[in-house]
Amino acid sequence: MQNVVERVINLLIYLLDSPSPVTADQVRQTVAGYGEQSDDAFHRMFERDKDLLKRMGIPLELKATDKWEIDFGYTVDPDEYAIPNPGLNEQERVALSVAARMVRLGGTNAGLAGLLKLGGVEVGAGIEPLAADLGAEATVLGDLFLAVSERRKLEFEYGGSRRLLDPYGIAHRRGHWYLIGQTADGERVYRVDRISHLEVGKRAGAFARPKRFQVKRAMSKHPWEAGTDETVDATVRFDPDVAWWAARHLGVDAPSDGSLEVELPVANRDAFIGWVLGFGPDAEVLGPPELRQEVLARVEAAVEAVG
Amino acid sequence: MTSDRTVTRLSRILALIPYVLAKDGAKVSEILERFDYTEAELTRDLNTVFFCGLPGYTPGDLMEAYIDGDEVIIDAADYFARAPRLTSMEGLGLIAAGMAILGSGQGSPELGTAVTKLTKALLPDAYAAIDVDVSGDSNNLAALKEAATDRKVVRITYRSLAHEEETVRDVEPWAVVTTLGNWYVHGHCRMVDAERVFRVDRIREMQVLDEEFERPEKLTDPRIGYTPSDDDIAARIRLTPAARWVLDYYPVDVLKETKTGTEIRFTSADAEIPARLLLRLGSEARLLEGDEVRERVAAIAGALRARYR
Repeated sequence: MQNVVERVINLLIYLLDSPSPVTADQVRQTVAGYGEQSDDAFHRMFERDKDLLKRMGIPLELKATDKWEIDFGYTVDPDEYAIPNPGLNEQERVALSVAARMVRLGGTNAGLAGLLKLGGVEVGAGIEPLAADLGAEATVLGDLFLAVSERRKLEFEYGGSRRLLDPYGIAHRRGHWYLIGQTADGERVYRVDRISHLEVGKRAGAFARPKRFQVKRAMSKHPWEAGTDETVDATVRFDPDVAWWAARHLGVDAPSDGSLEVELPVANRDAFIGWVLGFGPDAEVLGPPELRQEVLARVEAAVEAVG
Repeated sequence: MTSDRTVTRLSRILALIPYVLAKDGAKVSEILERFDYTEAELTRDLNTVFFCGLPGYTPGDLMEAYIDGDEVIIDAADYFARAPRLTSMEGLGLIAAGMAILGSGQGSPELGTAVTKLTKALLPDAYAAIDVDVSGDSNNLAALKEAATDRKVVRITYRSLAHEEETVRDVEPWAVVTTLGNWYVHGHCRMVDAERVFRVDRIREMQVLDEEFERPEKLTDPRIGYTPSDDDIAARIRLTPAARWVLDYYPVDVLKETKTGTEIRFTSADAEIPARLLLRLGSEARLLEGDEVRERVAAIAGALRARYR
């Protein structure tokens, strides 16, 4: 590993310092640690080192070495290499460091490695009595963040079919990550852990995001608000036993005593009926009548399914 | 492969150099803390840097890097004057961590401005494109976090998920955690004299007692979900692909998985939980085995029919 670390640092210095792109041959003849290898060994080594640079987030590019585009070589633009300086002051860095220690993403503390680049981490004052785990869909999320920030188009599998999307934003809600963007059929929301075979477009700036786009507004607060059903206003009554709990979930004032009756906009009937039935016999959809019938139909379907 | 470790080590070196350059030397103790180094690791990395530089690799081409007394010295490394950019995951990780803590109502104004600055730097034309909402019942959350910090016992009126009944318990709150969309308090329950996890949204009432407790020095990750016991009832259920989400939310064993469905074993302390789940799922699930659950579904269905007709 010692040799690899030295060689990669030397390679990076050479790439940053060269005024024009350098070919693999030039790297081999110039950078310490490559020279004495056979052709095959050199190519394997060089591929691996390039991969290391990419995984470190270093913008390694392949470019023509001359304007006739005969030869191609590698380069790292010093301005692209460096961090866009967010200009954090000491208190802000410490606050971010404490937050990063409390939050896990993809099974590790979120962004602690990144904080080193922003001036170092802060050793906490012991165990923090608060912790958040934002799930484990880490590999895809990094690509989605890149696509959102550089406006690259996305293609992926979802629910058995291929989707093409201009990614506008990502959000975390109710324990899951969601991707929001524009498809040929309008704005859509996808759950990130159900996305597979993701391909990120090669071109940056491939679409325009509406200037006023805010992911917060595009995301619904409750699952039954997001859907393609025609929106109806449903009235539900919760019995005294569960009224306080329903009120808390809905973000409305809890009844001091007695039952709770609320009107809710429903665009996803399936999700709504499921949620209400989760209360068992302690909640009742009062209207509209056809939604009431659907609740009953679901109950009868369940009775039949248990045999 | 040790390449993950190589990436970690290289990243730390590339972050260290600009920091020391900008400060024109830095105290060893400060570097150890900020960059989470042991002294041996720092010495080894500085020795590595010392052997790197511009092609030619004569003493004049190499970087200078060494420890002088209690100071770290790095020189002749202008190309590393600025730290490398954050990877996508590092950037998202930091923004998400900040937003999560702010959203839980526990952030400081400094954290707020830090997140804003970072978002604007990393997403210059889309700073409203990321959002993390882990908000819960903020009154209970704030009070519980404070009680955990001050190590005060709390008395909670709790409606358990398993039994649909309310109990009043004294709890020593060790930590407040969120995962899979819910907030939990993890601690020692005095009623059962054992470690327990409670869902914060099911705490109906709460009172902080004027009584301090001692927290264990090391906390293990809370076991969220339910603890199996011999009295459990078990059911075998077949889910259609549309109902596969159940696997994410309930502690079930997958018995068989095919393209047309998933067969699971659902164990719980009370038949009420699988029964309500089956009602939610309607025709998206089939009960293969489990008499108690079948009876309970029928009972709830009876009560619902009476209400709706």
